[in-house]
Amino acid sequence: MMEPDLVTSAAEAIRRWSGIAMPNEAARRSLADLTAIIAEVEKVRAGMAFEDEPSGFEAALRDTKEPGR
Amino acid sequence: MTAFDTGPAFLSMTEAAEAFARGEVTAEALVRACLARIEAHDRRVNAVIRLDREEALERAAALDRQRAAGALLGPLAGVPMMHKDMYYRAGRVSTCGSRIRRDFVPETTATVLQRLDAAGAIDMGTLNMAEFAQNPTGHNAHFGHCRNPWNPEHCPGGSSSGSGAGVAARFFHAALGSDTGGSIRLPATLCGVTGLKGTQTRVSRHGVMPLSFSCDNVGPLVRTARDAARFLRVTAGHDPKDPTSSREPVPDYEAALTGDLRGLSIAVCETWFLEDADAPVLAAFEAALETLRARGARIARIRVPCLAAVNAYTAIISRVEGATIHAAWMRERAADYAAHLSARLYAGYAIPAHYYVEALSRRGPLLRQFVAEALTGHDLVATPTLRTRVPTLAETNVDADPANWSRFMAVSANTRPFNYLGLPTVSVPCGFDDRGLPVGLQLAGRPFAEATVLRAADAFQRETDWHRRAPPL
Repeated sequence: MMEPDLVTSAAEAIRRWSGIAMPNEAARRSLADLTAIIAEVEKVRAGMAFEDEPSGFEAALRDTKEPGR
Repeated sequence: MTAFDTGPAFLSMTEAAEAFARGEVTAEALVRACLARIEAHDRRVNAVIRLDREEALERAAALDRQRAAGALLGPLAGVPMMHKDMYYRAGRVSTCGSRIRRDFVPETTATVLQRLDAAGAIDMGTLNMAEFAQNPTGHNAHFGHCRNPWNPEHCPGGSSSGSGAGVAARFFHAALGSDTGGSIRLPATLCGVTGLKGTQTRVSRHGVMPLSFSCDNVGPLVRTARDAARFLRVTAGHDPKDPTSSREPVPDYEAALTGDLRGLSIAVCETWFLEDADAPVLAAFEAALETLRARGARIARIRVPCLAAVNAYTAIISRVEGATIHAAWMRERAADYAAHLSARLYAGYAIPAHYYVEALSRRGPLLRQFVAEALTGHDLVATPTLRTRVPTLAETNVDADPANWSRFMAVSANTRPFNYLGLPTVSVPCGFDDRGLPVGLQLAGRPFAEATVLRAADAFQRETDWHRRAPPL
């Protein structure tokens, strides 16, 4: 669970950047649960990087079709 | 027992179309059978938002006249359908399951509806759904929760809740759903029907409410893999009104349904998809694998290291894009959303932009990596569609208790990765859990390999009758 002061600072950043106020208590829970996504990102961080080469998703769809199609 | 023994509403979509084409049943009889089911049982299921009774009967009568006159009709002629209330039809309200769009009247008609109309389908109205297609359970604070026809205390699955529940309840023969993180496959598995998400870009999204530009998909909920094959052939193909739609040729998917799985290799990923799965789900899944093996498929157990990155990025894309689409309403009308939805959207604004850009940039390379790790030497990947038994509406109700958040989010754990990867994926019923709720088998293939995915699903359904079982309403 995200630390309370991080929730507060994230809420303030959202208010300033997006003009959106925390709508309800469930939103606090949702914000705190971003910790789970952060944890997943942390686990793969070493392998994460912006691609130097052009790498369109649609091209990958075409290139990885079944052999013979 | 034949399907007719329980009435025309119990026919599958293709059975109904073929019975109509042969003159064994009228379109009016099909519509009236479906209307009778809805009138008798929708109070319990709450699948329907708007029923266009008179228009459907008029359309049926016109199709009956055309057939009697010997007109050449389309492959779905005479078949009653209803669709998730986010497919726009010009001049008709499309609520998107929301209060905010309760009176929204679009000026355009979705391409997919136009193609179904041209194929002779009968559109009977619109269906309940998660508000703005944003939850995996079927809760809806504005139109009432849709309920699982196998047990109304349990979730029907979302976001295409009315589509899954209505097809299962024999209210109509087919329904459009949409799938951004599992919203076709989840209601399909929770309600015991067949649901197909095609390859990303396979079906036009023109005239369809957006949730996530990168991951939204249009597809059917039906009774059988054969139904899905015919439905996809009618609806797939490039659309100039959706420049992102693929120009790949659309094959005759039904022609691929040979029943023969000899030479086919199916991989079971032991990473992610089976973690913490409930025992009744695992038992049904393993039995399904045995059935596929008996049909000639080879089953292999593999590990897929790239799934960790796939899952991290998947969550980021749909959260950020959903938040972006709803930003103006979140500023001005946040109180008009259900609490769980405004809460979910809200967190999307906190995700750093560079992660979103990175998630998009890595999508192609991770697709290539997944294909290398899971689909090289194998034709399909098999997983349970839902790892757990079907949850109740109460235990996933975030509006009633925010502590239910984790259970609510876990529902789509096995379906979301295939949206990021863009792969064609089907869910078919493969048994029941110890509480009498359905279990689903998910099969995913390489890009544009819908024919292979459906061939395996159809072969499975030739050996089993889970898809034939109807809830005792």
